[in-house]
Amino acid sequence: MEVSDWDLVQKCQAGETSAFQELVSRYQQKIFMVVLGLLRDREASMDVAQEAFFRAYRKIKGFKGGSSFYTWLYRIAVNMAIDAQRRQKRNPLDFRENMDGVLEEQNEVEKDPFSNAHDKELRAGLIAAINDLTVEHKAVIILRTVEGLPYKDIGEILGCSEGTVMSRLHYARKKLQVKLKAFL
Amino acid sequence: MIKRCEDIRDRIGAWMDGELSRSGAEEVRVHLESCPACCEERRQLEKLQASLKAVLVAGPSNVSFERFWSGVEQRINRQRVWHEDFFGWVRDLSTPPQLAWLVPAVIILVLMGMFSLESFFPGSRLAVRRNNFAAVESIDGFGRNVAVLRENETKTTIIWLYQNQEGENESTGEKSDASPSF
Repeated sequence: MEVSDWDLVQKCQAGETSAFQELVSRYQQKIFMVVLGLLRDREASMDVAQEAFFRAYRKIKGFKGGSSFYTWLYRIAVNMAIDAQRRQKRNPLDFRENMDGVLEEQNEVEKDPFSNAHDKELRAGLIAAINDLTVEHKAVIILRTVEGLPYKDIGEILGCSEGTVMSRLHYARKKLQVKLKAFL
Repeated sequence: MIKRCEDIRDRIGAWMDGELSRSGAEEVRVHLESCPACCEERRQLEKLQASLKAVLVAGPSNVSFERFWSGVEQRINRQRVWHEDFFGWVRDLSTPPQLAWLVPAVIILVLMGMFSLESFFPGSRLAVRRNNFAAVESIDGFGRNVAVLRENETKTTIIWLYQNQEGENESTGEKSDASPSF
């Protein structure tokens, strides 16, 4: 039977680093994907994701279980990614804009869902449109689409109400829809 | 009808996400059955959602997580020197939301410093000079006015203002009546 997150957290609070390693292996890919969606830079995303786990490790004694572990962890990672993206905008030369390359590879995994020319254009347009979103809009789109999180959890992660999440998602989708009107 | 369609379209995304109340969801569902324009909106949103998933959800093919834990472990084991934490804290503070608080705080601190500079360095050119001022106050027991002149908070001159009342003879012992009573 799989040990619950909360049990692992308690072991971790008692000083068992191996319990934290288990938590890292459970969430490393998800956290990386969310950060990558926000930062568009693979190396920077790996660095931010690892730093987010490190911060979680340092703060774990203060985690009382008021929310689920993953919500708490996502909050740390998303906030760090948002801060990193703001720095990225201020110092664009420090980061490489290689999201297009990353996204190219994402679709080589299995069957390419964008097989025909029209869909490939849609994909290119979609990447450009996602890149143009504000960091707040991008965050709700990624948390909803990549993770399929409910609005309540997204609100907890981003520190806003469910109503704000609903509104941000609506406007983010609207912006994407307007930019991709020709393809939809 | 247009107003109603706008209202429904604003909620189609949340309806697709299953985030509306039962009555709200039912309202959207019933409207979609009878409105081709809103149905088209739903179709577009569904296609957008499917495309977003296809682009964002698939993992990049050549990302290896084998060394992920070792990166975290290195951070845990590395003894951080104080200035790394300090600069991290400063860097966090310099992001826009925190900066919004920082700017007025710095302005207030600078102003407070300029006002208090005169106390520590009298005559400093940077200090905000306080004007000498004179106020007419009635502080004697006879309701007569005095002018108080303060200079640099160290020297205070009190000038007694006597009204030259009609029929009053200043040379006939009135002086003792006008003396202050504190």
